[in-house]
Amino acid sequence: MMGAAMMPLSSCNGTFNWIYDEPSLAADFGFIEIDEAAGTGTIYIDATSYAKWTYIDFQSATIDTTMLSADGSENGDVLSWDFAVHRYDTKTNEGLVMETSFTSLDAFAESGKLPDGEWVADIWTDSTVTIDMSGMMDGEIVYAPSYYNAELSKWLDVDTSTMPPVYALSGKVYLLKTADGRMAAIRLSNYMNESKVKGYMTIDYIYPLGL
Amino acid sequence: MKKIVLTIVLILSVIQSYGQVLKVSGRVADSEGGPLEGVTVYVKGDKTSYTVTASDGKYEIDVPEHSVLVFKLLGFLSCEKAVEECRDCRHVDIVMEEDLMNLETVVVTGTRTPKLLKDSPILTRVITSADIKRVDALDVGDLLEAELPGIEFSYAMDQQVTLNMQGFGGNSVLFLVDGERIAGETLDNIDYSRLNLDNVKRVEIIKGAASSLYGSNAVGGVVNIITSGATEPWSVNVNGRYGAHNEQRYGGSVGFMAGKFNSMTNVQYTSIDSYSMKNEGDYNTFYGGYNYSVKERLQYEVMEGLKFTARAGYFFRERDIQADTRDRYRDFSGGLKGEYDIDGKNRVELSYSYDQYDKSDYLLFNDADVRDYSNVQHVLRGIYTYSFEPEGRHTMIVGGDYMRDYLMSYQFEGNGYYVQHTADVFTQIECNLDERWHLTGGLRFDYFSQKKLSHFSPKLSLMYKVGGWSFRGSYSGGFRAPTLKEMYMSFDMASIFMIYGNPDLEPESSENLSLSAEYAWKYLNVSLSGFYNWVDGRITTVWNEELGGMQYINMSPMQVRGIDFSLSARLPFGLGARLSYTYTDEAIRPGEPLLSQTRPHSATVKVEYGNSWKNYGFNIALSGRLLSAVTTDVYTSATNYEDTETVTYPGYTIWKLVFSQDIWKGINLNVIIDNLFNYVPDYYYSSSPATTGITAAVGLSLDVEKFFRKY
Repeated sequence: MMGAAMMPLSSCNGTFNWIYDEPSLAADFGFIEIDEAAGTGTIYIDATSYAKWTYIDFQSATIDTTMLSADGSENGDVLSWDFAVHRYDTKTNEGLVMETSFTSLDAFAESGKLPDGEWVADIWTDSTVTIDMSGMMDGEIVYAPSYYNAELSKWLDVDTSTMPPVYALSGKVYLLKTADGRMAAIRLSNYMNESKVKGYMTIDYIYPLGL
Repeated sequence: MKKIVLTIVLILSVIQSYGQVLKVSGRVADSEGGPLEGVTVYVKGDKTSYTVTASDGKYEIDVPEHSVLVFKLLGFLSCEKAVEECRDCRHVDIVMEEDLMNLETVVVTGTRTPKLLKDSPILTRVITSADIKRVDALDVGDLLEAELPGIEFSYAMDQQVTLNMQGFGGNSVLFLVDGERIAGETLDNIDYSRLNLDNVKRVEIIKGAASSLYGSNAVGGVVNIITSGATEPWSVNVNGRYGAHNEQRYGGSVGFMAGKFNSMTNVQYTSIDSYSMKNEGDYNTFYGGYNYSVKERLQYEVMEGLKFTARAGYFFRERDIQADTRDRYRDFSGGLKGEYDIDGKNRVELSYSYDQYDKSDYLLFNDADVRDYSNVQHVLRGIYTYSFEPEGRHTMIVGGDYMRDYLMSYQFEGNGYYVQHTADVFTQIECNLDERWHLTGGLRFDYFSQKKLSHFSPKLSLMYKVGGWSFRGSYSGGFRAPTLKEMYMSFDMASIFMIYGNPDLEPESSENLSLSAEYAWKYLNVSLSGFYNWVDGRITTVWNEELGGMQYINMSPMQVRGIDFSLSARLPFGLGARLSYTYTDEAIRPGEPLLSQTRPHSATVKVEYGNSWKNYGFNIALSGRLLSAVTTDVYTSATNYEDTETVTYPGYTIWKLVFSQDIWKGINLNVIIDNLFNYVPDYYYSSSPATTGITAAVGLSLDVEKFFRKY
């Protein structure tokens, strides 16, 4: 007992470190897992910056980024893309999105059919995509005008009426129909890394989706 | 020749002293005539010859003629009886009265030397284990709110608990457990839920600065939780409590005294569901969770006067705050203390204490428990006490501490860490100038390595006692050194703004003047005190335009002054009452980043009645908290300190009824009705209680060892 009390002496900076997990800070972004046979995979992106759009292209299984300015202009070339993510905001490349009631990709795949629902297109908004939060204390948030898909953006609800904000993941499967008729099923499974930094998005998908 | 004379003198003196020895016997009873077992009987001025009363209250002792017998038993008023006063000198029967007002409770916080409550030169408020049982408190926060006016726990950001004790926040009131500091903090407050009351003997509270003995943080007061060891040869307790919102508490303890060993082990588990408030507010959900703790305290008495105490503890708390994360808090503590009463005059105490408080987030989606905060404190302490005269008329203490403070935090750049070494020396002299006057003077020097800061804290107090009256006056200095967090923070607040530390911070300091008058009688205690605090350099955050974020700074001087009044009475037939009132006036200059939110008036009231028979006893206690409204200005912007609006936080009263029953042997059943008059805030301010109205709870405790008692 006395020995137990004295034991910590050997460890000036604390003890029992083994209780905790060491955060594994994945530095790889993009399509981090692809199962071509099953047509499934996982995308991991760093969407922590308010001044960045990350573009996702299913056909080439690549991601690309642009820097966003307050006037809505973007700096960077993106050749081909299906949907894009800015913080928790989303937009599509002239596609449509439908929220399903499924909460797992497996369950959706097993159902084997396209659920009934409304396909939602992007809208143009100048009051949603935040580019500068620094004036929030004085109620002066700067938004960049942008396209925005409200349906896919339901994947994460952020309630900023309390401090700190309350995050609620919908957990649902979203269907994306591209302008040329291809389809993907998308589900946001996480929005932070192991250091609790929010904006690291883990997106599971089924592509191509043949229903 | 000389040798022969000396031998004769010696023999004669022995014969003579033999001639003076009397065999005295008698019986000690309580005021109802029942026998009192375990009463220590000894000759005044000679503690070496003593005896203890048997289960029938009887005793027998050999004493010299002309001596005075002293009878002592915990919970009873001591008696003295000169053997000559008795008609039959060989037979002394005594009736002892219960110490209803705790006059003979020993307190240590005010002077760091044991003192009877009535003799403490610093006005000390004591909450005894009996009070704790009757008030049905879950942790020290509950207890303090119930027992003391002017104490308010409310919610800061993220529903973290924050204290206001008469204008002083959580980091300006020093919380101690057996004199040891508590590691870790969240938004300037320690984790009060760590301080559960499962092995608490008493809680001592002193108001006003006390840095001359305790150093940093003792700016506005000290709360010292005194734990207990085993008091029975063996004891086993199991207890449970069930209340509203599925609140559950289960606990147990095992204690034993075997030879030179004394051990006490406590475990406790509590949990509560999250629940919604009834109306809109600054918060609308109470976040539930659970916690558990295990504590061990082992004492080994090598010989009379020399003992070692080892302790170890583990605490775990988890809070259901968000759908993606569980907040986790852990504490590992341990310590070893040696106390050596060398000869009644010289006493030495050496201790080592370890406390590690960790915070981690259990990320549900990542299935990872990642630590992002760890505060590790190692403290070494030595105290030497010298009593100048046999009866301890003057006492001097000299002591010193060394602390290594390690802090790793998510609020530092790159989750980094800082280490600070602090060292101090202190001394205090207490003089009983005569029967009436008592003078105490003390001085402490503290040193902090990070910025090579140092601080002197003085104290001078005077007490005058006459009859049942005590008049006390004191001047004392308090300070709080800037913490590693306040010096080095670099924290991105939800990507909205940054909070920066300030390495150039000066210590916060206070000067406290207090005057009090107290009247103590065996059934009644009344006290009135006035206090004045000059607080300079209070540390807070302020918007810094250049940095584009918040930064810690020292505020301009402010003043906190007020009056405390307390009246308590306890009558032998079981009726007791207490009324405590406090008035606080906090004067802060306009334009300072912090504005006063302290309620000017607050009071606590308790009325109780109890009685007990052979196999049944009960106590019914009605207690209430009465808090006045406070109207204050709040800034309309977080980045400038010019425009304000007036806000009134409404006053309220909240009442609790506790019906305790002692059934048969060792069975204690509590029925609790909380928020008796169904107070529901119209709007839940962060200072409103998280109540949904009247609720009930029931608690059961079994002292297993008592089942086996024959009487």
